[in-house]
Amino acid sequence: MKRLITGIAPITFSAAGRAALLTSVLGAGFLAATAGANAQSIRVWSGYPELAPFYEHVAEGMKAEFPDIEVTVEAIALREHERRVALGITSGESAEVLELATSIAARYLENDLLATPPENVASFVADPANFDTFFVDSASYGGAVFGVPLFRGQSALYYNTAMLEAAGLDGPPTTMEEYDTYAEALTQRDGSGNPTVSGWSLRLSGGGAGITEKFWINMFQHGGQVLVPAGEGLWKADLASDAGVAALSQYLDNLHTAKTVTVEMPADAEAFEREQTAMFIRESWVIGDIAAKAPDLTYASTTLPRGSIVNPVQLYVAGEGEQAEAAWAFAMETQKPENLLWLLDNVGWLPNRAGLDYSEILASTPALEAFVSYPDSYEFFSIPAIGPIDEIMTRTAAGLQAAFGNAALAGDEAAIRSYLEGLDSEINALLSREGLLGE
Amino acid sequence: MLKRRRLIFSLLAIAPVIAIFAYVRLFPIGEILRLSLHKWDILSKNKPFIGLANFQELFGDRLFHEALINTSIIAFGVLVITVPLAMVLAALIFYRTRSRFAGFYETTIFIPHVVSLVPAAMAWKWIFDARLGPLNALLSVFGIEPQAWLFDPKLSLISVIILCSWQALGYAVLIYLVGFKNLPKSLYEAAKLDGASGFQSFWHLSIPLLKPISLYVGVATLVSAFNVYAQVYVLASDAQGAPGRQVRVLVLDMLENTFRNYRVGYAASEAVVLLVIVLILTFIQFSLLREKGARK
Repeated sequence: MKRLITGIAPITFSAAGRAALLTSVLGAGFLAATAGANAQSIRVWSGYPELAPFYEHVAEGMKAEFPDIEVTVEAIALREHERRVALGITSGESAEVLELATSIAARYLENDLLATPPENVASFVADPANFDTFFVDSASYGGAVFGVPLFRGQSALYYNTAMLEAAGLDGPPTTMEEYDTYAEALTQRDGSGNPTVSGWSLRLSGGGAGITEKFWINMFQHGGQVLVPAGEGLWKADLASDAGVAALSQYLDNLHTAKTVTVEMPADAEAFEREQTAMFIRESWVIGDIAAKAPDLTYASTTLPRGSIVNPVQLYVAGEGEQAEAAWAFAMETQKPENLLWLLDNVGWLPNRAGLDYSEILASTPALEAFVSYPDSYEFFSIPAIGPIDEIMTRTAAGLQAAFGNAALAGDEAAIRSYLEGLDSEINALLSREGLLGE
Repeated sequence: MLKRRRLIFSLLAIAPVIAIFAYVRLFPIGEILRLSLHKWDILSKNKPFIGLANFQELFGDRLFHEALINTSIIAFGVLVITVPLAMVLAALIFYRTRSRFAGFYETTIFIPHVVSLVPAAMAWKWIFDARLGPLNALLSVFGIEPQAWLFDPKLSLISVIILCSWQALGYAVLIYLVGFKNLPKSLYEAAKLDGASGFQSFWHLSIPLLKPISLYVGVATLVSAFNVYAQVYVLASDAQGAPGRQVRVLVLDMLENTFRNYRVGYAASEAVVLLVIVLILTFIQFSLLREKGARK
């Protein structure tokens, strides 16, 4: 097993000794970045409520060095966060520190609405010793660094070890075919045969683009992606590929043929924590959530058959002058190894910084292993940071949701392909409208 | 001279109110109309004029059609349930005012109208829950299979209609009660002398006499229901562990286009369509009321 991100460039998690050197480099950076950053009040806007304690922890740690910087953390649900950022930035009322995913930040950077970092911050981010090229690119726009990489969403399979043992299953599934057989074996049913505990919880309903994202992850395991590159900066939809057909067939078979899951069953982390599902795919934050809500749950996590999505999130700064300097100081403070390890240990989101020593945390939380240690062949993908991506995800989600409810599609490969071709046409029309459609 | 002074005084007196109204009500409407003819992503300083392109796109937009159909079904569903039910309930309350429970009845019916929307919708979310909800428990008493209220495409619409009707009922009953209190007693006394039963009086006197009230309640309910949003938002997109089916409605679609898709001009064109629908409904109300007045 090896810890790296393939397809991009390896992230090497170096020995703990490097941390000291990095800390001193950082210390020099902080001093340069914060000259004049005194008696400032800054706000941090986050789209993840569970991250509020992390930012407060960072702010608390800053007090000794920066006693005059007051930090207020405002963390709300992601969709509402995105709305307030859109309104806040355009009205000049946004917080100074903004936590944004690459695809969202791209819109603001296109319109020159986010601050350019000071030289020391930019060089810190661009340093390959600190971040893998993939994360540097994610935090950059037009070749220049604009954000400080913080954490990433990355998926793994969570499974209830007691349920697997009771079903006579030895270890987690390793292929998508096994996901089906495991789902059948793990499903618990009432006297009428209706499932009471789902074998494999799939994202089947709800608002937003999450349905597409989860489908994309499953489709990736079958060898394809929803959007594929089609020329320089151009894309095209590829749902109707063999991988897309296989992924949708798998959803439909589990829903309507094997009936290992139903659309109205409890789902996701809450269901897993309540032992209402045996397996589900999610990011690393679930580990912290389980520790808080279901500490007695017997579970483990494992890598996915082919690879995982990576959704990098950065800290950006809005505004200028001394407040901006204080905001950059805060962003850099988050990068202290002890803070990033605190993030992983207490919240569960994976830091993007290279050179961190996870050994102590992994010893106490083995479930994190699947997120930081994976096979050489493990692959990663990201959702393209293009303007209409949210619209594409949301519209595709509406189409997929309708397909999930259509029992007539189950087992009919030609009908599934035809349905997906319809969704492809819709996506391609959106890409064409934005001048992003390739051949 | 005095008349002119009075006119000037009157105009000056209402000018601040008109100014505030124009700024708060008319200006945003004008701005929406203007934006609907432009392409704007909320962030850019450029807003190129694109004529009616947004409206042309609306005609081919599958999600907009779905939102428009869902919103119309919800609005007319709420109307069909609320207006007759409110009239009957108001009649029962009005003719039972001597009952010591009269105050209780009025309060019970009016409470849903003043209860905060989100906790109310959360309560209904539990009621509609497919596994643990009391509604399915009640149905099972009658041998009816449990229903997936929040997941089935048709039932999820019905669930929203029930929730919206439950909320709208209190206000409608209140308006009808005022109407009942203003009906001329002499007509009912005459009907009674002619041997009319209570039901006959209600059918042949109350319903025709309350026509203006019914029109007002009907249009107010319809317009309000066309703006449905929070109800579907809470019922469908709660915690990730218990999501429901997203019932797409116009306001939700507009918000999504504005803040997720950054297509403010396009969302504005949807708002214009909603505005036109509401204006047509209001026009119908005025036409019918004018027709009623002309007969007098």
